[in-house]
Amino acid sequence: MDANNIIKSLTEKFPNEILEPSVESNIRISSYVDKDAIVNVCKHLLETFEFDHLSCECGVDYPDRNEIEVVYHIASYSHPVVLTLKAKLNRDTPEIESIVSLYWNANWYERETYELYGVKYINHPDLKPLLLPEDMLGDWPLRKDYEGFPNKTAKNLV
Amino acid sequence: MEQTIAPSEMLLHLGPQHAIQPGPYLLDLKLRGETVVDAELEMGYIHKGIEKILENKTYFQGITITDRICYLAALTNNEVFCNCVEKLVGIEPPQRAQYIRVIMEELSRIQSHLLGIGEFSTDLGFVTMFLYMIREREEVLSLIDMVTGSRITHSYLRFGGVREDLPEDFAERAMSVLNEIKKKLDEHEDLYNTDKIYLQRTVGVGVLTAKIASDLGVSGPPLRAAGVAFDIRKNEPYLVYNDLDFKVCTEKEGDIFARIKVRLDEIRESIYIIEQAFDQIPQGPLFPVGTPYGRRTPVMRVPAGEVFCRVEDPRGEMGMYMISDGSDKPYRVKIRGPVFPTMQALPPLIKGTYVADVAAIAASMDGCTSEADR
Repeated sequence: MDANNIIKSLTEKFPNEILEPSVESNIRISSYVDKDAIVNVCKHLLETFEFDHLSCECGVDYPDRNEIEVVYHIASYSHPVVLTLKAKLNRDTPEIESIVSLYWNANWYERETYELYGVKYINHPDLKPLLLPEDMLGDWPLRKDYEGFPNKTAKNLV
Repeated sequence: MEQTIAPSEMLLHLGPQHAIQPGPYLLDLKLRGETVVDAELEMGYIHKGIEKILENKTYFQGITITDRICYLAALTNNEVFCNCVEKLVGIEPPQRAQYIRVIMEELSRIQSHLLGIGEFSTDLGFVTMFLYMIREREEVLSLIDMVTGSRITHSYLRFGGVREDLPEDFAERAMSVLNEIKKKLDEHEDLYNTDKIYLQRTVGVGVLTAKIASDLGVSGPPLRAAGVAFDIRKNEPYLVYNDLDFKVCTEKEGDIFARIKVRLDEIRESIYIIEQAFDQIPQGPLFPVGTPYGRRTPVMRVPAGEVFCRVEDPRGEMGMYMISDGSDKPYRVKIRGPVFPTMQALPPLIKGTYVADVAAIAASMDGCTSEADR
């Protein structure tokens, strides 16, 4: 499995959705992806290149650009290439399609990203907090402007 | 899970505090008679916010925090953190430091597996085995203590090297302990293989097939017990694992018995790796020559960039995603622990089994709530 081949095939199949692809080494590829195309891209990866293992999914907050990035690390059980896909979301209304239908273990990663960053996953089977208590929902503690617990910016400050 | 229950059903809360658990989590079981028809796992009882803490500490302080993710795998957690920083900075530890890291991490794998098997045995009511395993583990911990100065939270790795060199007669002392463990391990395995009750409770129970295991995203011994030879040390070699001869231990059955067998085999394999490492370890410096990195490098600016590193933890694939913005603190650290997917796979795995087997299945996955919650 060659990193350059994967990138070539991806950009041919999705010319408008795969942006700024880069090969960092022969086992690490990274690319931006259009947020509406994430499910189709993942499906293509799963069927064509045996990317059958979602290694990690997380959010990153960029308040300066008013963006939240959702980062997917997609790996495989049979080859060592790890593909990093990043989708840019608007920070005020972050929404993206869930990939639970393709990768079963995305379920908890998405619940975690939801409670920590406020990213809303569409078509997620059971979107509710995983680690935090329910009354902290809406604080989004891993965003950069979070001010500690109890949150000074919290809506329910007594 | 549907909260409504039929008249013939019963809801059972296992946890958050229960004798079988490696840490607090809540397992809700819906029972019909003795069969589990539905299960849901709730966690977050020891969420420490380690990812947020790491964003507010310098890189050097971060080493100490990564110890606390899971005390059984402190050295591999250090390894993945230091690996990320080393890749961002662009340095590589010298050969001797890499060999020392391999030796220490394999010792750490041995003690983790010993405790994992021991804890599992207590949950089956096989307490004798727990005491045997703890006795052996204590010997290994003393070895690690000799080098790092502490039993469980070592903070031993540094960027580009290791904190201390091995003591002078370490190789002889380590090999005498490890050879003893190898002998004892054969006896213990005999005990497991001949105990009728143990076999009845483990063979064919909690089966995780290769297809289901990889669909659920599981890694480590539970996956290898199902026959998938997935090991980061082989798939994506780091340190000097390329120069060392070892095999990835797999079984076909995917049941509890196979998972324990894989762990026992891996202990033997780790001992073999350490043996080779002692033979091959060269003399030399502990830190890259001509760089400012050393035992104490308190303030360090890391060039902007991002990196995703993976190492093989005792429990599976440990990954870390680090973004640096050029300052002395990481911009974002995401810890991808191996236990998180393992815990997630627990409810589907125990569906349809007897409630008496739940403890055995849960313990055989060797979970660590502390790492899953972070």
